[in-house]
Amino acid sequence: MQRLPTVLRDTLTEVGGIAQFTGRFFRNAFHPRFAWDELVRQSVVNGYRSMALVGITAFIMGLVLTVQSRPTLARFGAESMLPSMVAISMVREIVPVITALIGAGKIGSSMGAELGSMRVTEQIDAMEVSGTNPFRYLVVTRVWSTTLMLPLLVVLGDVIAIFASWVGVNFYGTVSWQLFQTQVMDSITGADLFPAFIKSYFFGLAIGLVGCFTGWNARKGTTGVGEAAHRAVVLGSLLVFILDLLAVQVTDLLGIN
Amino acid sequence: MTGRISPTLTGEVVVRLRGLKKAFGSNEVLKGFDLDVYRGENVMVLGRSGSGKSVLIKCVVRLLEPDAGTVEVLGEDVLALDPAALDRLRVRVGFLFQSSALYDGMTVEENMEFPLRRHWIAMAPKEVDARVEEALQAVGLAHTRHMYPAELSGGMKRRIGLARTLITKPEVVLYDEPTAGLDPITSMEMVELILDLQRNYGTSSIIISHDLNVAKLAADRIALLHDGRNYAGGTYDALRASTDPVVERFFQTL
Repeated sequence: MQRLPTVLRDTLTEVGGIAQFTGRFFRNAFHPRFAWDELVRQSVVNGYRSMALVGITAFIMGLVLTVQSRPTLARFGAESMLPSMVAISMVREIVPVITALIGAGKIGSSMGAELGSMRVTEQIDAMEVSGTNPFRYLVVTRVWSTTLMLPLLVVLGDVIAIFASWVGVNFYGTVSWQLFQTQVMDSITGADLFPAFIKSYFFGLAIGLVGCFTGWNARKGTTGVGEAAHRAVVLGSLLVFILDLLAVQVTDLLGIN
Repeated sequence: MTGRISPTLTGEVVVRLRGLKKAFGSNEVLKGFDLDVYRGENVMVLGRSGSGKSVLIKCVVRLLEPDAGTVEVLGEDVLALDPAALDRLRVRVGFLFQSSALYDGMTVEENMEFPLRRHWIAMAPKEVDARVEEALQAVGLAHTRHMYPAELSGGMKRRIGLARTLITKPEVVLYDEPTAGLDPITSMEMVELILDLQRNYGTSSIIISHDLNVAKLAADRIALLHDGRNYAGGTYDALRASTDPVVERFFQTL
């Protein structure tokens, strides 16, 4: 291990640390003494309070993709494919990934900073010595909240992005919401929805785990807090892309395309 | 113990440390520390800054894992306990942090209730309320109940930290520099509180400090931590009268 280049050694240490942390999460995740009150509080913080940001972003993405795709489709006389194309792109890829990246930035960094600050001010140690199992109270509830909330945020984003696409289509003509909705529903299948929904759970799990991991292991001092937040965003975003790549491979292998 | 042998003490030993060793890399902080704490007594561990005093009490509750030695608290071999048993033991041992370590997202009341709620102790809300009130009254800060830690002074935080420590009625309390950073009057108030708690709750304590005034007023016995070992032990007066050069220098310079 000592002979390895520093970058490689640090990376392996980080990966090992996250794997160990994940194992500890699953060992505690289904404990009967579950802090339901904290899970509800975290779900409000991470889910409810992210709705506006996810909603606005999804609306802009849906609108922009529609407006920018329209001329290209029109050139091939395939303008009628616009609702289907935008809906499928949004549901399958764009909304889950962008929502996860928002989650890594907003939720992951705040978790890293909050737990990091609790670590450096000995608040986690205080919970530890009072025998209250801070891992179960702080980490398990936060990771569950992101795992459960991210798919819901993705569903919200999907609906808003499709609505925004209808608004975009109506910039150039008049298409009723009923007609637009029918076209979208006819083109989207379970093979589009199901894998996207499932991968959102994994995105949420990864964001929660990485955010908590960086905060939990923050080094002493105030710089440790900032570093924890920064690492949560970088590692979280990277993991989202890696998981997305894996999800594509898995759906390909399973023939869900 | 090389400086002075303590008088023979009798009674129930609540904390027994033997050959405790802890190193951070090549820096050996504890090199075989021995200590006995008897029920109902306040033992102060005196030592210079960086001598490993905080490391010592963190090893007692396994916030840090010792490299070698044994730690026995309330008859339990701390280093051999599984996590659940360790949590159960920790409920019986209070720990006051130098930084107070109050949960800053919670009010004083929520800070106090937290250990009770998280231990799933079957307690009626009225009983919890009464326990919080009693602990806050004990430290003279009942009026801060709905305040947040950010609204409190350093001395108040330390006292609330102490009240939170007491809420589970621990048998042993570990104080990490309880008067550090406090003005002389607030320091004396803290010392009085420590003595009140010893009298009223019958707690045994290990007090970590380098403050000789605290040692004189609050300690039944002193253990001098020097070069990673329990160098000398005894009452304040006995150590003060010691002619051992290390002990003498310690009392002259602190």
